[in-house]
Amino acid sequence: MTPAARRAAPAVAELGPLMGPYLARQRWADRGQLESGTVETLDSEVVVPGPPSVLWMLVRAGEAVYQVTVGLRPLGDEIALGDRDIIGEVTGPDGPLLAYDALVDPVLARPLVRLTGADVADGAFVRSVGAEQSNSSLVVNEKLIVKFFRRLRRGPNPDVETTLALDAVGFNHVAPPMGRWRRGDYDLAVAQEYLAGGTEGWALALTSLRDLYGCDEDDPASAGGDFAGEAGRIGEMTGRLHLAMAEAFGTHPGDVGAWVSGLTVRLESLGLDRRLVERAHRLVERVGGLADPGPSIRVHGDYHLGQVMRTDVGWFVLDFEGEPERPLEERTRPTSALKDVGGMLRSLDYAAAVSGAEREAKAQRVVGERGRAWEQRNRQAFLRGYASVPGIDALLPAGDGQGVLGPFFELDKALYELAYERSFRPEWERIPAEAIERLLAG
Amino acid sequence: MTFSPQWYQQCVFYEVLVRGFYDANDDGTGDLRGLTAKLDYLSWLGVDCLWLLPFYSSPLRDGGYDIADFFSILPEYGDLADAVELVEAAHSRGIRIIADLVMNHTSDQHPWFQESRQDRTNPKADWYVWSDDDQGYPDARVIFVDTEKSNWTFDAQRQQYYWHRFFSHQPDLNFDNPEVAQAMLDVVKFWLDIGLDGFRLDAVPYLFERDGTNGENLPETHEYLRRLRKEIDDTHPGKVLLAEANQWPADVVDYFGDGDECHMCFHFPLMPRMFMAVRREQRYPVTEILAQTPDIPEGCQWGIFLRNHDELTLEMVTDEERDYMWAEYAKDPRMRRNIGIGRRLAPLVDNDRRVAELLHALLFSMPGSPILYYGDELMMGDNIYLGDRDGVRTPMQWSPDRNAGFSRADFAQLYLPPLMDPVYGFQSVNVEAQMRNPSSFLQWMKRMLEVRRQHQVFGTGAFEVMAVDNPSVLAFVRVLAGDETDEDGEAGDVVLCVNNLSRFAQPAELQLGRWEGRTPVELLGRVPFPRVGALPYFITLAPYAFYWFQLVEEAE
Repeated sequence: MTPAARRAAPAVAELGPLMGPYLARQRWADRGQLESGTVETLDSEVVVPGPPSVLWMLVRAGEAVYQVTVGLRPLGDEIALGDRDIIGEVTGPDGPLLAYDALVDPVLARPLVRLTGADVADGAFVRSVGAEQSNSSLVVNEKLIVKFFRRLRRGPNPDVETTLALDAVGFNHVAPPMGRWRRGDYDLAVAQEYLAGGTEGWALALTSLRDLYGCDEDDPASAGGDFAGEAGRIGEMTGRLHLAMAEAFGTHPGDVGAWVSGLTVRLESLGLDRRLVERAHRLVERVGGLADPGPSIRVHGDYHLGQVMRTDVGWFVLDFEGEPERPLEERTRPTSALKDVGGMLRSLDYAAAVSGAEREAKAQRVVGERGRAWEQRNRQAFLRGYASVPGIDALLPAGDGQGVLGPFFELDKALYELAYERSFRPEWERIPAEAIERLLAG
Repeated sequence: MTFSPQWYQQCVFYEVLVRGFYDANDDGTGDLRGLTAKLDYLSWLGVDCLWLLPFYSSPLRDGGYDIADFFSILPEYGDLADAVELVEAAHSRGIRIIADLVMNHTSDQHPWFQESRQDRTNPKADWYVWSDDDQGYPDARVIFVDTEKSNWTFDAQRQQYYWHRFFSHQPDLNFDNPEVAQAMLDVVKFWLDIGLDGFRLDAVPYLFERDGTNGENLPETHEYLRRLRKEIDDTHPGKVLLAEANQWPADVVDYFGDGDECHMCFHFPLMPRMFMAVRREQRYPVTEILAQTPDIPEGCQWGIFLRNHDELTLEMVTDEERDYMWAEYAKDPRMRRNIGIGRRLAPLVDNDRRVAELLHALLFSMPGSPILYYGDELMMGDNIYLGDRDGVRTPMQWSPDRNAGFSRADFAQLYLPPLMDPVYGFQSVNVEAQMRNPSSFLQWMKRMLEVRRQHQVFGTGAFEVMAVDNPSVLAFVRVLAGDETDEDGEAGDVVLCVNNLSRFAQPAELQLGRWEGRTPVELLGRVPFPRVGALPYFITLAPYAFYWFQLVEEAE
């Protein structure tokens, strides 16, 4: 034990009992796990000597494992903290200490960032963002973002792993990795270039739609806010992403059986109209009959307009964590590249539908028609951009297989959406429901 | 008159068409004495430097860019004495004047060419580029593909071909001939002696020809520009050379050299992208091109504009890798029309004053010296039926009187008819009416120029785009480091500019943490806004609204 670690050691014992109540105040902590299981400290170490110092703690609550970066300052130090950020009071060698979330302390931000190995100047301006979400991030001089994971999972974090692998094969639509903090089996934090001035594709799509709904043009190609150029560029980037994924993680024979099993189960549970179910089964049969369905590759997995970001130097892909509620093994399982394509196409439909629904009732008909035209135009632009990438054919089904597998993955996503909307947002249920009708029409 | 040697970095330019500004001798055509008579107006408006289109003797087959004598004035415009009087009158009001100069070629009516074409042995035989065949320099593209088949034209008199990058009536001078190189320096010095403050150099990339090249941006051309700059600096310090090089910014910067070639270059791609940003209601067309714009050497400056007669044409941009213009513009018939030279600002924005104000606010706050086009301060219209160029060259509208107050000649005698339609016609759009109306566009423009003049930071401050989640908001800061040694001892200045590119009201959250504790003071009304705290700074913007905030250390 280093001297600093020894000095902090008593605090660990006192902090243990404070962790349960602290975690209970955090949105990122799993309430169910907290209530069902015990809270215990698995590991700890002083990672920034102080004062103010940072005591890193690994805490288990039920099945869930969290890292907590505990800031320690003499009681009475001036620091602006929210109620949620405070852990409690503990005894220090020279008097009582205040324990709190170190990620909100501007003085501790720079040494915390340095734990990833990223370079940060002493005078750098650091701000904290998204402290309430599943990750907390520090932005340094608007140039570097360091993401600290709250809940940890064993093994490489898929976001970190994928970003590094894509960067290594020269894919330049991910924010370049600048550092990583890892202990034992756990990825604790990752530093990446900050995409300053970026806007999520979702916000840009809504800007385009707002313009279309507000102008005197019915044809989205003639409207000022046309999005097709952007949609085409997203398509191109997506094609390059898939080629890079194949290069970085390899290709595997497409396993149609695995692809269709999820959809078949979901189809039964939704209680859809018999006519639709029959048609869906026919589509599944056609997928099963494909002579060459194309390979399986590692994909983004949760691909939509909110996962792509426009910057001054082009589009970027964000967040390779997949859907966090699913098991890791499932999130990184190779599948058809068309899964991501389907995800983005569904997202275009959602953008048109969601922004249209915000308009006043009397405008609904015009908005509906324009929204449909917008979705069609941008879907085609996206697919054209995707198909224009040299070499992409090798990742797709042979012959007219794309005409079967493409709609299949769109349907798969729409069924997932329908289940989700029924549970959480019944007012949106009609968006995937109408899409399912369209996909299975005729 | 005292000016900083880098006056052009702080200056607002005004492009004026002598022919169309004011007619002092009642012959239906504007002239130099007419311009002199209107200097008080330009001084009142607050422009710092006039840019005159070519005023030299010319057969006018290319708008005066076909010069027939570098040392005399086009008779319709006046004479050398009028030019001297104009320069002196302008200087006495603190206004500078630069003029167009075409170095690359002359009119075929120029005495130099007339002599050169006589035979192969006359004293000026080698002043132009002659050849026995038309096969030389095959890699140089034909620029005016609509009118010219080749860059070579046969001259029956000399029985040889001569080289021309533009029209066949504009033979290229042979800059490899030291006499030509010297003669052009003499031209430059002649006009600097008269008092001109500099030149807009037309068509600079084409001065030299070399086999195996496309004849653009050759090292020899840069070498000549360095020589020109050095000679001017030695004999006439404090002048400006503004290069017209219609290329991508990364290539245009070569014309700044190491700060030893041209003082200024036009930033061509920025203009259409400002219009594009408003049309798309998102900032990326603008921020993207600024991100691709390299830093420029100390003492240099971009020339930026919304409208002039020299705009980006799709033909000028061919590299598909970089070519956003093709991808976005070519698909949109309306935008395609708009990048042509046929429209003025007001018709381009559907006469929407909010958009005209927003675009000017951008022009005045982005990195570079703004260049205004005469009449746009009134939101003057155009007459597209007059044809490509003339449509935006109708007489300046001074008053609701006969001929728009431009001339007392007979209406039929005017070089072009003034606009008379109900929306843009001189009955409703004119200087006199707008000077009397405190809420007019002209008065707004004057106020903006006043505010801009008070803040050096707009001229030379660093430029940084701010991260805003809302894509319809373009926010940036201009920062001038505090420096006691500045000639006026100005302390550091930080100005935050927030622009709403959308027709809808928009919110913006700005990360102003670096300036925590400062107070944003809105520059047009000096209204203090809430102090910057630790949290993101929240602003709401009305449709097409913009704010200029000075971030001051203490509330005033």
